[in-house]
Amino acid sequence: MSEASVGKPMLPVAGKPPAGPRVSDGSNIFLTTKLDRLIDQARKNSLWPFPFGTACCAIEFMSTIMSHYDMSRFGAEVVRFSPRQSDLLIVAGTVTDKMAPVMVRIWEQMAEPKYVISMGACACTGGFYRAYHVVQGIDEFIPVDVYVPGCPPTPEALLQGLLRLQEMIAAGETHYQRMVAAARAKAKGAVS
Amino acid sequence: MRNTDVVVCDPKPLRFWQRFYLVEVLKGLGVTLRHFLGNLFGRKYTVTVEWPEVKREYSDRLRGRHVLLTREDGSPRCVACYMCETACPADCIHIEAEEDPTSTVEWEKRPKVFNIDLLRCVFCGLCVDACPKEAIIMTRHHEMAFTGREEAVATIDTLLQKGPIDRIDLGYRPYYGRESRPITLPIPVRVEPAPKAPRPDLAATP
Amino acid sequence: MSMSQEKLESFRRAFPPSRGVEEIPGQDIPTFQVERELLPELARRLKDDPDFDFKMLSDVCGVDWPERQARFDVVYHLYSLTHNHRLRLKVPVSEQDAVVPSVYGVWRAADWFEREVFDMFGVRFSGHPNLKRILCHPSFQGHALRKDYDPGQRWLLREGEQDEPSWAREVQEDEDHFETQVLNLGPSHPATHGTLRTVVRLDGEVITRAECEIGYLHRCFEKMSERHTWNQIIPYTDRLNYCSAMMNGVGYALAVEKLLGVEAPPRAQVIRVILSELSRIMDHIVCIGANLNDVGAMTPFLYVYQAREEIYSLLEACAGGRLTISYVRVGGLANDVPEGFEEAVRYLLRRIPPLVDDMERLITENRIFRQRTEGIGKLSAAEAVDWGWTGPCLRASGVPYDVRKTNPYLGYETYDFKVPIATTGDTYARYLVRVEEIRQSLKIVEQALKRLAPGPIITDNHHVALPPKEKVYTEMEALIWHFKLIMEGMKVPKGEVYGFTEGANGELGFYTISDGGGSPYRLHCRPPCFAVFQAYPHMLEGHMIADSIAILGSLNIIAGELDR
Ligand code: SF4
Ligand code: SF4
Ligand code: SF4
Repeated sequence: MSEASVGKPMLPVAGKPPAGPRVSDGSNIFLTTKLDRLIDQARKNSLWPFPFGTACCAIEFMSTIMSHYDMSRFGAEVVRFSPRQSDLLIVAGTVTDKMAPVMVRIWEQMAEPKYVISMGACACTGGFYRAYHVVQGIDEFIPVDVYVPGCPPTPEALLQGLLRLQEMIAAGETHYQRMVAAARAKAKGAVS
Repeated sequence: MRNTDVVVCDPKPLRFWQRFYLVEVLKGLGVTLRHFLGNLFGRKYTVTVEWPEVKREYSDRLRGRHVLLTREDGSPRCVACYMCETACPADCIHIEAEEDPTSTVEWEKRPKVFNIDLLRCVFCGLCVDACPKEAIIMTRHHEMAFTGREEAVATIDTLLQKGPIDRIDLGYRPYYGRESRPITLPIPVRVEPAPKAPRPDLAATP
Repeated sequence: MSMSQEKLESFRRAFPPSRGVEEIPGQDIPTFQVERELLPELARRLKDDPDFDFKMLSDVCGVDWPERQARFDVVYHLYSLTHNHRLRLKVPVSEQDAVVPSVYGVWRAADWFEREVFDMFGVRFSGHPNLKRILCHPSFQGHALRKDYDPGQRWLLREGEQDEPSWAREVQEDEDHFETQVLNLGPSHPATHGTLRTVVRLDGEVITRAECEIGYLHRCFEKMSERHTWNQIIPYTDRLNYCSAMMNGVGYALAVEKLLGVEAPPRAQVIRVILSELSRIMDHIVCIGANLNDVGAMTPFLYVYQAREEIYSLLEACAGGRLTISYVRVGGLANDVPEGFEEAVRYLLRRIPPLVDDMERLITENRIFRQRTEGIGKLSAAEAVDWGWTGPCLRASGVPYDVRKTNPYLGYETYDFKVPIATTGDTYARYLVRVEEIRQSLKIVEQALKRLAPGPIITDNHHVALPPKEKVYTEMEALIWHFKLIMEGMKVPKGEVYGFTEGANGELGFYTISDGGGSPYRLHCRPPCFAVFQAYPHMLEGHMIADSIAILGSLNIIAGELDR
């Protein structure tokens, strides 16, 4: 997934042409220290998920936070329903065209840095709903860091996705981090 | 409907002592305290599976990642008959057939391309039911996570069975005869031995 | 059950063919084709005449016949609680003049159902108070369930184009000249458990007006089912009411089996009963747990969820999936249950009651909980029937309607269980009814377990069921049947049927039309939530904002089923 593929107008629209989703270019980021590493460590172990649960996958997400799997063991315990208080968007369930603007709005409202896990076949690609009202993968609208397959994914699979995301954060490979890095490189280039 | 078939469950009036919040609150606290103390000293009510060190033991029918079985000589059993592709509700299987050069009979086909888009797949198992050759079955490998859509398309190389069949963590497959493991409840778990080397048949998956 | 002969006769006398009422013979329930001009009078009479007494409108849906002159059929399914009989009315309209008089004035249940027909087929209902799209978004062009609509054709909805009730923009002052406030609950709201949106007008903390917006999870189930073979639809049905996937599959399979004239073997029926009832328990557990969670009691949710996880484990051992199990097949089940099934169910029978007891001890007599729920979200029996309510919500209002008793299927008439009802019809009553239903379901499971005898689990009719695998590998004939079933799908005889079962939320109907092909010509699902939820905005008026959450939780709205 590259930024270019985010926000292409891909659907026929009644009326005016679409305004693509706004993708922040990272220009408001200026911190450039070695401290980042440490902060990333801290961030990866204290993710605050926002469960954007819409359908059946949300039920499995519930199982994941319940006693049997207990997501809090991975530091992602405080499920927040306010986008302002969370940095991990877990899209669990089918996103329809009616729901897509809501999802984009929530993603935009989340404080940076932010990460996205797409849970389940529907959120990743639309699954077996190749249909007139279903978004064929949320990466049409927002950048996704980890895709968890399954319908619904087992709680283990979601936890695996979470661990994968943690690894990515530590290695600086998430979408957000790469965007920041690119913005920095550009700024550097402009200075020298 | 007869009246005898009905049970009326109307609210009981609160008894005298129930009118005080405190009694009820204490009673409720008693229940939670019982669970708490039981967990603290005996782990009596603990149900958490300490994943990933301890794994929940799923049944032999769990529908996880697919695997394409091979014949003894290592060639795929699949004859590219497109039945699984037709049966798949998600249209996530893509097969291209070619003439099998090694075959002894005419018209024998084999798959040149066999892709399964694991992000489309809904793990319904209909492909397994559809296969007339027991060529495609499912494993219990369900802990997957990808970082890109392309990465999630399993090709024939990654799908083909590697190593002997008893090395595969078999899941949903055509079922006849005895089950290898009966259901047991409470939920069985198994303690993973220290980090093991990736299994050969799954080495290709992240 | 169909109407008795003399009732039918009196109906024919009152509405003879000369008035434009034509009987269509040979249907599963008496069916009449009605001229649209006659519909309002007919509807009023059917409802008010004690001979017919069709107090409940269970379903309205549309069917498209592109090659016919009168292109659309609007189909009404009526039910009488007192006589326990059903009636189907069909009103044909042409595409150029697709207007039907609304029956909202007769049955309020028609409210959303008619909107859905409008959305999907473009048939207008004259006299409907709020006729606009309901499932598709406002920027959607065309009508999706028409046969000539391309299923892949999407339309983009942009921010700012979302639907808003017309009254939400008006500035309104209350009697003290304070401005009232319009508040948007959802669609992403912690207490909506899914994707429902309610716009409310608040005067202080009191809701003076409300309107719901649904369709945020409209996944085109009905369109998809027209594109897949009969058995491929099973995974789709799992995702309707995903809290109790098994029951949807059973309901769907029963409808198709009725059309085919086959029956599942006894063992399959018993297993269906056991797993359905366990699913019902699961569904009620989630409903109660989530409801409690919303009003502030987290602990019981954690306790009862343990039971749910173990039922999952059982389902997974039988079917291979935890939530979306795809276990049912038309004509039986996919596989036999594995060894140890009976012991596992017995274990659950021992395990679930103490957890429910614990929950009850915490909640049932808890004064805080009672004060938050008693008298909240009250709906009288007559109103509930008028809205088309079914299931635990209707029973909490005092109407003992349960399909398992009135129209038994899967041999439910031979099980000894009771239908819990309550009379107060408030949120607390709905909680009590659900708890009692869990106990009754356990009772059914216990009895069913005793009847589990060895035997086949799927019919041996090779036009319907895949032949056993070992035969496919060895016998040519079996292979040919296998090939035919997979490549073309089973051939279901021409006809139509309304199959209905008692889902976790009420009457779950599948109106199935076959044209003899490998996939349904039309499959309409009558989701119980849909009827229940349409009353919600009206129930809110006069309640506090915090109560709206308690009420919503007690209705158990499952978005997958609501929006399909
Ligand atoms: S991926 Fe499957 S389980 Fe998840 S929301 Fe989609 S249909 Fe439901
Ligand atoms: S499991 Fe179902 S969705 Fe996945 S490849 Fe097989 S048939 Fe297709
Ligand atoms: S059904 Fe079996 S043999 Fe046929 S193409 Fe699929 S995997 Fe190969």
